[in-house]
Amino acid sequence: MTSLLATTLPSRFRWTDTLAWLPWIISAGIVGYAFLSGGYVVTLVVFALIYAVFVIGLNIFMGFTNQVSFGQNAFAAISGYTSAVLTTAYEWTTLPAIAVGVALAVLCAFLIGYPTLRLKGHYLAMGTLAIGLITYEISVEWSSVTQGYMGISGIPPLGIGAYEVTSDRGQLALLVVIVLILTFMSARIRTSRLGRAFFAVAGSEDAARALGVDVARYKLASFILSAACAALAGSLFVHVVGFVSPEVFGLHMVILSFTMLYVGGIGTVAGPLLGALIVSLLPDTFRAFKDYQDLAYGAVLILLLIYAPRGLAALFDRYVPAKKVGGAP
Amino acid sequence: MKYHLILSALTVGGLASLAGPAIAQEPFKIGISAGLTGYAATVDRAWRDGVELAAATINAKGGIKGRKVQIIVEDNRSEPQEAVTVYRKMLSSDGVGMFISGCVSAGNFAAAPILVRAEVPMVLCSILPQQPAQVKWAYTTLPPAGFEVETRLAYLKDKTQVRKIGVLHDPTPYANLQKTVAEKEAAKYGIEIVGIEQYKQDDADLSVQISKMNSAGAGAILKIGLGGTTLTAAKNIKQLGLNMLLLTSLEDLAVFRPVAEVLGDKFFFVASPSQVRDALPAGPLATEIDRFLAPWREKYGDRDPNWASRGWDGLMLTAAAIEKGGSFEGPKVRDAIEGLSGYQGTTGVYDFSPEVHQGLTINPFVLGTIVDGKVKVVQ
Repeated sequence: MTSLLATTLPSRFRWTDTLAWLPWIISAGIVGYAFLSGGYVVTLVVFALIYAVFVIGLNIFMGFTNQVSFGQNAFAAISGYTSAVLTTAYEWTTLPAIAVGVALAVLCAFLIGYPTLRLKGHYLAMGTLAIGLITYEISVEWSSVTQGYMGISGIPPLGIGAYEVTSDRGQLALLVVIVLILTFMSARIRTSRLGRAFFAVAGSEDAARALGVDVARYKLASFILSAACAALAGSLFVHVVGFVSPEVFGLHMVILSFTMLYVGGIGTVAGPLLGALIVSLLPDTFRAFKDYQDLAYGAVLILLLIYAPRGLAALFDRYVPAKKVGGAP
Repeated sequence: MKYHLILSALTVGGLASLAGPAIAQEPFKIGISAGLTGYAATVDRAWRDGVELAAATINAKGGIKGRKVQIIVEDNRSEPQEAVTVYRKMLSSDGVGMFISGCVSAGNFAAAPILVRAEVPMVLCSILPQQPAQVKWAYTTLPPAGFEVETRLAYLKDKTQVRKIGVLHDPTPYANLQKTVAEKEAAKYGIEIVGIEQYKQDDADLSVQISKMNSAGAGAILKIGLGGTTLTAAKNIKQLGLNMLLLTSLEDLAVFRPVAEVLGDKFFFVASPSQVRDALPAGPLATEIDRFLAPWREKYGDRDPNWASRGWDGLMLTAAAIEKGGSFEGPKVRDAIEGLSGYQGTTGVYDFSPEVHQGLTINPFVLGTIVDGKVKVVQ
């Protein structure tokens, strides 16, 4: 038997290589289970995938470029509200409304990022936190547009032109495609010239500058890419749920996305998707604990961060074939 | 072969006859999406307790049309996203046929399209959704926003010399609705609003807003909103040495007692009938409140009954509608609630119709105060 395997498999093949794909296999398994089983698991996974879009962007800024932002929810709010207002008050179709929402958020990211990214470390963290809080306040106070806490309802579902994706499974399939495209782009960025510049900035800004990397420019590029993903997630959310209110894009979103990023694996390609799925499904796994649900959830998160400090996806780094070393898949 | 067919038919028939009564006895599942944690926790926990108490009372009497009621509660964490998830969970996994959900308006709004598609009605603690197609499936036990405002304006007009007031409100939808009513209705009572100020639920100081209203000539403040800010406002009024009345909206009596200690006879609050039961005359309202208060006090002692009494109403009027409509099916229950008129609840008489899904149409509120630790009705 051994000799048969030896003759049929490439000589350098190792069974452990397949372990490198485990994060993807787990993610595919969860999504596939949701698709087949239907019910509210689909809702959980749909929200997880929307968050995955958000976290993929956060990973570019925090994982690849080693910067900190507590304010990405601002861009989700800008895009989400723009999309909601355009489709409900001005009867735009979904796709152009999302496009304008994302474009407006990216423009805001450029205008905000240009001065803000001069800050470093804790100061950058505080600055970005302020951006998120200011946007939240605007969404509450600018009630003539946002309807304040009343929120905007009757937002049409995702779709192209007259075709609308209303079924749960349809929305799930659409989001899977979007997440796969963004994950592929994230993987390509990671190994591209742009990605190498990000990693150079992440390692040492002074060293990167000495090597000829335009630090300010690449930090801004990373921030804008991250904001674009957050913006897309914001618009996807409002069209999937059909309702938006300020609470949707509050501090809760920031905390949840950070948890997903660290649990999944910061700086990895598979981490955002795996983290979003695990963190979205974990509380529900403990629903039977009722009042102790949060306690169990918190305990598992602590254990995960103790035994997998670089995140779940990073656990399988060691199994990546030697030629691909430089990070997990 | 023929023998086997007869045997099979007998077996199937026998099983069906055994299964028949079992299906008939299957409990009717009612879901509650409540903010058991988060900002709505105090109100929604009481709402849940009221619904569960009503379910126990109904089940003790044999259920609704012979079917026991099973309450399924899920915590929406006072978040719209979580509300969507728990509504979906209760619909698809638990097979809930009716919702009697809590006061997280945004959560109920976000989930409303799902319920419309599933054709499952809901009776809410919160305000109704904004879309007409969604309102069709939603009913609320919440009194119209104007009632709380009118109760206070009427008192000021009839019993005081105060003709200039300020409005202090939080940014929640219900508080905003009340503020809008106050702006529209004040003139009818000969009262001028000289200042409208907003605060946030976690504000630790309101002296700036109060000072501005006082400077504008306000002799009283209509405070609209829940939580500890009522005590903050009272302390600020006292610290600033102002001679102003504070008239607050509906709230838990536990919140009001320390406020009364600070402001004494300058403090008034809107009270629901169940909070001032002892001051009510005998009649259908008092009888219904007693029906609720007896098991409530037995289980929870002197805990404030306000929010729980509306939760009780939510289930009791649903049960009445099912009895009247003769069906547990969503569309028929919806139609039956719509046809429910003159239903005596603990908060007042509910008159629903195709146009009116906010059933309390006659103001049930009174103005209360606390003297020597005891709640008294002043109007």
